Amino acid sequence: MKTFYVNARYLIVPVMTIATILGIFIGNTFAWLGVILFGANTIIDTLTRGIHLRADFDDNGNSFGIKRLQYAVMYFMLPAFIFLQVILAWRLYQYTAFIPFNDFSFFGIPYQDGITGFNLIGSVLSAGLWAGLGIIYGHELSHNRKEGFLTSRLIMALSGASHFTYAHVYNHHLDLGHEDDPATAPRGRNVYTHAWLSHAGQSQYSYNLEKEKLLRQRKSFFSLSNKWILGYLYSLPSIFLFVWAGGFFGVLSLIVVWSISNFLLEALNFMGHYGLIREKGKPVEHRHSWDNDNLFTSWFFIEIGRQGDHHVRGETYFWELDDVDAPNYGIGYFSLFVLTLIPSLFRKFTQNLLDDWDRNKATSAERKIANQFSNFS
Amino acid sequence: MFSLFKKKASSYSATLSPSGKVINVKKGENLLTAALYAGIKWPYKCRVGSCGTCKCKITGGKISPEIDFSYVLNFEEMNTGYALACQTVLKTDVKVTINLKK
Repeated sequence: MKTFYVNARYLIVPVMTIATILGIFIGNTFAWLGVILFGANTIIDTLTRGIHLRADFDDNGNSFGIKRLQYAVMYFMLPAFIFLQVILAWRLYQYTAFIPFNDFSFFGIPYQDGITGFNLIGSVLSAGLWAGLGIIYGHELSHNRKEGFLTSRLIMALSGASHFTYAHVYNHHLDLGHEDDPATAPRGRNVYTHAWLSHAGQSQYSYNLEKEKLLRQRKSFFSLSNKWILGYLYSLPSIFLFVWAGGFFGVLSLIVVWSISNFLLEALNFMGHYGLIREKGKPVEHRHSWDNDNLFTSWFFIEIGRQGDHHVRGETYFWELDDVDAPNYGIGYFSLFVLTLIPSLFRKFTQNLLDDWDRNKATSAERKIANQFSNFS
Repeated sequence: MFSLFKKKASSYSATLSPSGKVINVKKGENLLTAALYAGIKWPYKCRVGSCGTCKCKITGGKISPEIDFSYVLNFEEMNTGYALACQTVLKTDVKVTINLKK
């Protein structure tokens, strides 16, 4: 029973992604289902903010997580996210081709042919929000096994962000808490600025990483060995699909989907390390990451919020990550995300937490660096 | 032909040089985790294959790299058996040279 509970609790996103796909397929106001679910999750996350659980192990210290099952689910999410784009493209085609409204049934599932502009907007927003949640699988798979790494790249490529996988492992994990890490947000920066700077910075890092590697291997920069270029090529099918399906509206929709999904990705980076400081070259410790580990966030985001443990034991499977007394926002990602959208509110919320970090967790050298930001925090 | 039906080992051994210590590495487990569990003070930092601190030389046996080492190891190291212990899974028993004084 415990094994079932530990493994089933991480299926919220797969189930809701399928529901979002079905919503777009059924059409009419169901096209907004992804948006509604996202909103409902924010409420659930806020209501469960006080419940924090530890990782589950048996008496011998073995985890209840079933590796094969959890990996199968993560790999399954690649075709699921592809299907999310295909179903949106189908709706775009229906809108631009002025397909008349008719009610049909497909293997017993009723759906409405044709879509209004309003419900198309709902479809695009739903797809963008749930494509953005692909980050949790793109992230987890970036740390495990060769085929997992490629799957991570392909999932991220669906949002035009395949560079993330390399930048995350080789840059973020090495340089977090330091200005060399574009994914770490310094104090005073807001999430909107961070989204641009972090995205561009990580892509730039990945570009330089490939440039140096290919130079060492005496290969041309313009080759299929260049993972930076290859990553963007992986995104081409999405572009072709949306241009083919919707022309101008297709391009517009893809821009919206990619903007939302990349914004969610960078918001997670923003929340994960905002304002925390590490001296360059010093070991990464639990205090250099924020934990968001209330019940719903932990289950929904497959423990990505246990950043403190993850950054110290990067090879550890998500279901084995635990509370390590890292700095903790005390609330979940959904609730915190709402705060980040209002920068003044977010700064006010984090002020006391950062003051506490400076006083009780920072080294004197880190405190000295923190003082440089005192006017912004 | 019958090797197809041979039962695969559930763990392999890694003989460390110069200490001569032998550690047990479970199937699928990485070399660094097994070494740390065995109480070896193996130098490490990131544990995701990006810093190169856990670098070692495989002098015998077969391994499976979990990630592409070429971003961290140089051309010479790549061709002389170097590996990143945190991203190394064993395929057979191995011999490893490691500088624990780092």
